[in-house]
Amino acid sequence: MNSTKNTLVLLLAGGVGSRLNILVQHRAKPAVPFGGLYRIIDFSLSNVTNSRLQKVGVLTQYKPLSLMNHLGSGEAWDLTGRTRGVKILPPRTGARDSDWYKGTADAVRRNIDFIEANPSKEVLILSGDHIYHMDFEVMVEYHRAKKADLTVAMMVVPKSQIHHYGAGTIDEKNRIIDWEEKPKVARTNLASMGIYVFDRDYLLKSLSRNKEEVDFGMHLLPWAIENDNVFAYPFYGYWRDVGTIQAYWQANMDLLNPDSGLLPEQWRIITNVESSHRIYDWPPARYGYKAELHKSMISAGCKIEGTVVNSILAPGVVVEKGAQVRDSILFEGCRVEQEAVVDLSILDKHVEVSARAMVGHGDGHKVASRSAPNHLFTGINVIGKRVTVPEGMHIGRNCSVHGYTAGDNFPGNGLSDGATLEPDGTVS
Amino acid sequence: MLKTTTLAMILAGGRVDELDVLTYGRPKSALPFGGVGRVIDFPLSNLMNSGIEQVAILSQYHSYSLINHIGTGAAWDMLGRNRGISILPPYIGSTVKEWYRGSADAVHKNLDFVQFHDPEYILILSGDHIYHMDYDDMITYHAQRDADLTMAFIRIEPSEAYRFGVANISDEDGPRGGRVLDYWEKPREQQADWASLTVYCFKPEVLYRMLALNQQQESFEFGRDIIPVMMNAGLKVYGYKFCGYWGYTRTVDEYWQSNMDLLGDKPLIDIDNWGFRTNLDQRGIRDFQPTIVGDYGTVSNSLIYNGCRIEGTVRNSVLFPGVEIGRNTLVEDSVLFFNNVVGHNCTLKKVVADVNNFYGDHVRIGEGGAAGKVTVVGWNNDVPDQTTVGAGATIWPELTESSWKKQVAAGEVLR
Repeated sequence: MNSTKNTLVLLLAGGVGSRLNILVQHRAKPAVPFGGLYRIIDFSLSNVTNSRLQKVGVLTQYKPLSLMNHLGSGEAWDLTGRTRGVKILPPRTGARDSDWYKGTADAVRRNIDFIEANPSKEVLILSGDHIYHMDFEVMVEYHRAKKADLTVAMMVVPKSQIHHYGAGTIDEKNRIIDWEEKPKVARTNLASMGIYVFDRDYLLKSLSRNKEEVDFGMHLLPWAIENDNVFAYPFYGYWRDVGTIQAYWQANMDLLNPDSGLLPEQWRIITNVESSHRIYDWPPARYGYKAELHKSMISAGCKIEGTVVNSILAPGVVVEKGAQVRDSILFEGCRVEQEAVVDLSILDKHVEVSARAMVGHGDGHKVASRSAPNHLFTGINVIGKRVTVPEGMHIGRNCSVHGYTAGDNFPGNGLSDGATLEPDGTVS
Repeated sequence: MLKTTTLAMILAGGRVDELDVLTYGRPKSALPFGGVGRVIDFPLSNLMNSGIEQVAILSQYHSYSLINHIGTGAAWDMLGRNRGISILPPYIGSTVKEWYRGSADAVHKNLDFVQFHDPEYILILSGDHIYHMDYDDMITYHAQRDADLTMAFIRIEPSEAYRFGVANISDEDGPRGGRVLDYWEKPREQQADWASLTVYCFKPEVLYRMLALNQQQESFEFGRDIIPVMMNAGLKVYGYKFCGYWGYTRTVDEYWQSNMDLLGDKPLIDIDNWGFRTNLDQRGIRDFQPTIVGDYGTVSNSLIYNGCRIEGTVRNSVLFPGVEIGRNTLVEDSVLFFNNVVGHNCTLKKVVADVNNFYGDHVRIGEGGAAGKVTVVGWNNDVPDQTTVGAGATIWPELTESSWKKQVAAGEVLR
């Protein structure tokens, strides 16, 4: 039981991730598709498998269906067998009727029975929200070598970004000596990646101390740093929090640039190809006589007759003759009909862009979304699941269209920059 | 256990000499096809789509590649309490001492397996062909006619008749089929233009009787030995007329052509709609990332699965996962199996390349010579920079560095 591979993993996958706008309208953030074939959680989960860890609890809360479906039995990540397993841990009613998780630490506290049922020397706590490649086995060994109570994975980020993260200061032995959660003024450039290795007994003790302490970064960490042995585990590779539309788009584009360091196949990132419940396997992508491609990622099952530039296409995307797709991310089963244009846009699953429609039109990149100015302000459009964009329709910049909006409910004169369209035809 | 209605037996052991280096280490049924799968995926997908859930695969030549590909059978939903794929290799016993001596002998040696299932219909088919067929419809016809044997036939060019078992079929049921009136196995002179697909549906007790009878002979093939005996005995042999695509693919040229039939605006092989499945665990197919077409990549009229990197030009070709095409390289009219890595400034024309080959820079394959000849590269080769290989040449698998030369002539066999 002292082998590092017995380390129990708790994967926090309950976050709403609301800044991902309508991509999280019907699914939790970890279940958002990424890079054509993957979902965001595949990165954390594959790191677990590739680190030879065997027992995982996935803590869910917000719209967990898509996520549960994707995890399936855990077989894709080799997490089935007598000593292996992945368990979904949803919130449960306790003494009161409604006991939703109030924060990261609270979520773990409510699953102490799971920790107790799976004895291990350490507990690894991860978030299912990040794109990275990391060997947790090495981190646990580091934690042991430092004789730490708690080890936090940390990396250097630009000072201008530090306000998104837990920020720490370390001494020459990597002991964390100062901590500030989401600081307004940058005093350090060392950010927490939200990856913690706890000594199990220490974790149980910390959680039982004060039930009002519901968040690791806000409550448990500052206390631990003050009173116990907390070390930083330095990380130097590719790591992105894809919590905003802009960051999500950028990380996808990094796939097209081999120098970015984002290499899912080389990292052995595994996904569950069976979770889409297709009866048949995707055939190879079919490229027509007139296909034109430039720096793009194309998945099996695509049919390309038109032009695709600087874009990521998930399985089953169809780009018809004369159609153009540029700087965009198209999820599974999207169709771009003849002479249509998709520019700087993210299309959720099964979006139909009818002939001659333009999604991403004009120069209004700086006109922020009126309903969500903090989500959409760099020019990117987001079109929800199963939307049909009618023939000839023009959609400007920073627009969003809610999932399942029928073609009939689009305004006749198109969507201007910064507009949001709801399924009933309301434009805001 | 639910009783098995139809038991399918796939004859998948054959090497097929004409395919030469492509069947160097695998039976023909395990030959890659269609940019992701293997030939045997076609009959297996057909079985799945026909609702047949008990399958035996009779395998003898270099079985590992096939065993590995079949896995548990879960890829075709053939894993469950009443569903399964069993691979039946040759064995020795107190009375059995030899290899499978032919297709009929292979089935005969596994009659204990067949009789354990005690099926109502026994479907025997080859694992070597590319086609899309509803076996259930053929079995229904077999049952309606209460036939002893129903065989599937396809119309062929009469000049090709010498390669097949051919028959005259009565017009009893019009386009559906009819009684087999005459049957010739690979006739020297053209006799008829209905060729057997080697898809047989037997009434079990007739099959048992025929196999027992056949054991006293010297030759043990269904086409050559069993069917003529049944015809002579006046048993009820019916022909089921099939009119779709059928890829026989017994020569390198035919194999190449079948691959080309996947391409074009209206492909003859409509793999997108054939309900095709393969085993995605095999060769880690499921773990490849999407294909990247780079800054200088151009692709037209081609099929490319996940896991490729294209920096050059690909035309009229089929690329399996893990293929990389370097800058300024042209790949045309070619089929590149898994993990062919081609360097810069190369030209590959009308090449069929087996798995795991590396090509240096300025390599030219399929140049000059007799135009239209397919050049074949066997597996695990490291083709040195500047090498030229003429059209129609054959490169043996796993050549050592010293076996290579700068110029391989058209039609030459390098080994």
